[in-house]
Amino acid sequence: MAHITINQYLQQIYEAIDNREGSFCAELLSFKHPHVANPRLQLSSPEEKCQQVLEPPYDEMVAAHLRCTFAVANHDFVEAYKLQTLVVQSFLKAFQSHKEENWALPVMFVVALDLRIFANNAEQQLLKKGKGKVGDMLEKAAELLMSCFRVCASDNRASIDDSKKWGMLFLINQLFKIYFKINKLHLCKPLIRAIDSSNLKDEYTMAQRVTYKYYVGRKAMFDSDYNPAEEYLSFSFQHCHRSSQKNKRMILIYLLPVKMLLGHMPTHQLLRKYDLMQFSDVTKAVSEGNLLLLNEALAKHETFFIRCGIFLILEKLKIITYRNLFKKVYHLLKTHQLPLDAFLVALKMMRVEEVDIDEVQCMLANLICLGHIKGYISHQHQKLVVSKQNPFPSISSVS
Amino acid sequence: MSTRRAPRRIFTSQKRGQPVGRGWRLNQEQQREVQEEKEGERRHDAVPRGTCMSMCPTREIHDREAQSRLHHFEMLAGTERDRRPRADPSRMVKEYSRPAAGKDSTRPSDLRPPAVLQKTVSFLIDDIAASGDLQPWTEVYDFIFDRLRSVRQDMIIQRVSGRDCVAVLEPTVRFLLYSSYRLCGEPLRRYDPRINDTHLQESLSWLMDCYARGQHPNQEEFQALSLLYNLGSARAMQHSLELPAHVRSSPAVSLALAINRAFLERNPVRLLRLAGRLDFLQSCALHRHLGACRRDLLLLYSHGHSSRNCRFPLPRLARLLGLDDPLASQLCLAHGVEVSQDAVVVFSKASFVEPEPGELRCPPFHGLVEQKQRERSVRSIIHGRA
Repeated sequence: MAHITINQYLQQIYEAIDNREGSFCAELLSFKHPHVANPRLQLSSPEEKCQQVLEPPYDEMVAAHLRCTFAVANHDFVEAYKLQTLVVQSFLKAFQSHKEENWALPVMFVVALDLRIFANNAEQQLLKKGKGKVGDMLEKAAELLMSCFRVCASDNRASIDDSKKWGMLFLINQLFKIYFKINKLHLCKPLIRAIDSSNLKDEYTMAQRVTYKYYVGRKAMFDSDYNPAEEYLSFSFQHCHRSSQKNKRMILIYLLPVKMLLGHMPTHQLLRKYDLMQFSDVTKAVSEGNLLLLNEALAKHETFFIRCGIFLILEKLKIITYRNLFKKVYHLLKTHQLPLDAFLVALKMMRVEEVDIDEVQCMLANLICLGHIKGYISHQHQKLVVSKQNPFPSISSVS
Repeated sequence: MSTRRAPRRIFTSQKRGQPVGRGWRLNQEQQREVQEEKEGERRHDAVPRGTCMSMCPTREIHDREAQSRLHHFEMLAGTERDRRPRADPSRMVKEYSRPAAGKDSTRPSDLRPPAVLQKTVSFLIDDIAASGDLQPWTEVYDFIFDRLRSVRQDMIIQRVSGRDCVAVLEPTVRFLLYSSYRLCGEPLRRYDPRINDTHLQESLSWLMDCYARGQHPNQEEFQALSLLYNLGSARAMQHSLELPAHVRSSPAVSLALAINRAFLERNPVRLLRLAGRLDFLQSCALHRHLGACRRDLLLLYSHGHSSRNCRFPLPRLARLLGLDDPLASQLCLAHGVEVSQDAVVVFSKASFVEPEPGELRCPPFHGLVEQKQRERSVRSIIHGRA
């Protein structure tokens, strides 16, 4: 592969297309394949050669691909991205002309993946030079991927085995990755709807489904839909292949805060196994109602939590922590008419800054409103009057 | 599809020789940059550079005067009632015009360079916005809104960036924020808050992009304003958390973050208390959210204090809401919260209702913001402390 001539290469592509060998053709167009390091193929003007061997639009597609290998060899990712765009556009022309056949899906997968990767690299390159805005190229790449998606989604005539619909989930996952990167999560919605209404949704490969549920789970988290988020992320975690430790860890980073908000704390073993000890102090603090420890734990690992985008969700654990703290006060005083002052003292002991009795009333009112406390506040008597039966229902029963 | 775990590194072509020492590397980069600029210029058209040294291109002055399309702020004093009013060149400002096919918006004589753009902005603030004589203020707003839009258009065409850009965007944001408060409650045909919001968000977004590179002395002020204007936005908060430490820990940003946290924790009592510490412009930024915060407080208290014997003193509630007693009472009424004869609030979770749309007008509740303005002039508000 690293030594073949341009003619041999073109001949191989020609045969792959002629014999409808999707996987082999895909390899010949993928940047993960060693042929891209072959200097004989890194040409800046291969159009004529390609036209001699291949029919349009394959000639344009392969010519752009070869020019792309040249650009990549010169570290010019901006150029590589532009050329990869041509590759995808030409591919799409060919793909659309394949009536009732889907042999080219593997090709679509590789060119789509390379498009996203080059868009990423190109942006990084521009940013280093102080030019370009984050998201410009990725957004354009997303538009192109959406065109591919539409071709797949609208394939209504072919039988299931030959349907292009099998390409949908892969493309959706690529689009999710882009939308998350450029922070435009609202664009995920129509894609999620498309899959939900598809009869193939449980038939795609497990790998694709795990990735899909990971992103949908993260989106649900962002929308504060914690119950569906837990469902998706749990599925993703359980079905993620045992050997992908890194992926399992990534899923866990998002699953843990959601589970904690729903009242389920992770075990020490789990945290240790996946090297997520950053969560251990947080877990301990929340269970004990220890606001001081929680604030310290959040501050200590702030950078990590912010980078992962879970800092704000972990801050929501404060509400659960207040609940646990106040429950301790209840157990200590052993009465159903609790002076508001007791809660104020508890908060001050936890070094909560600048809190006064009005704020305490508000916190308690919030917990009552959420269902975490059964009772009411009597302003005249400055007391919290709680129900004699189960005044602090378990968190999981409330959420 | 192949599941081979191929490494992401996709080529092994020769690496460029690593430079030694920083000075040498800078030189290399500069050289490469110059080369690329040349190549860039070969490949694309050169970026237009304006040569119009006045606030309005001469051609436009003649055209608009001839076609009687002068704004009366731009007319020569004494000629306003003439059949064809004359233009006052010292008050003519280039207007916004939609880009269209066949229209060349890149003519250098029509474009104003950054220094002139800044002069234009100063004129708009000092002579138009701050002038007590020009009425009504909705017209002042319309004029400045349009002319600022044209300024931004010139910036986009000339690809202005960095400090020049910031010098225009900062007063723009201040103006739009101030306007969002001052014109709140005006009928839709005279002022549309959604249009103001769109342009405000665009300008803020552009400003944030500028701040990402280089040093900008007012950055803290605007990061805080953005956080307050976008209260509760996870995106705005995440952006703030990723700011450099010295910006994040500045008093303005810290306070804005604390207010956002109070919102996320659903503690309107704390939020309204912290809001009391905001200055006038910051209060303007936050003001559109105050209605929702007060409503939340009434909702939470309706649930939390719900009991037959509830007697919550109205003055205390009013203080928490940042309102005087009569206004607090009015707010309770609109939310179905019962207030007895002896100024006692009887909270009940069953009686809380959302007010009818349009029932509660915002301006009567502006007191909290209004009192912050005190002696500050419009001019100083929009120019900033300077």
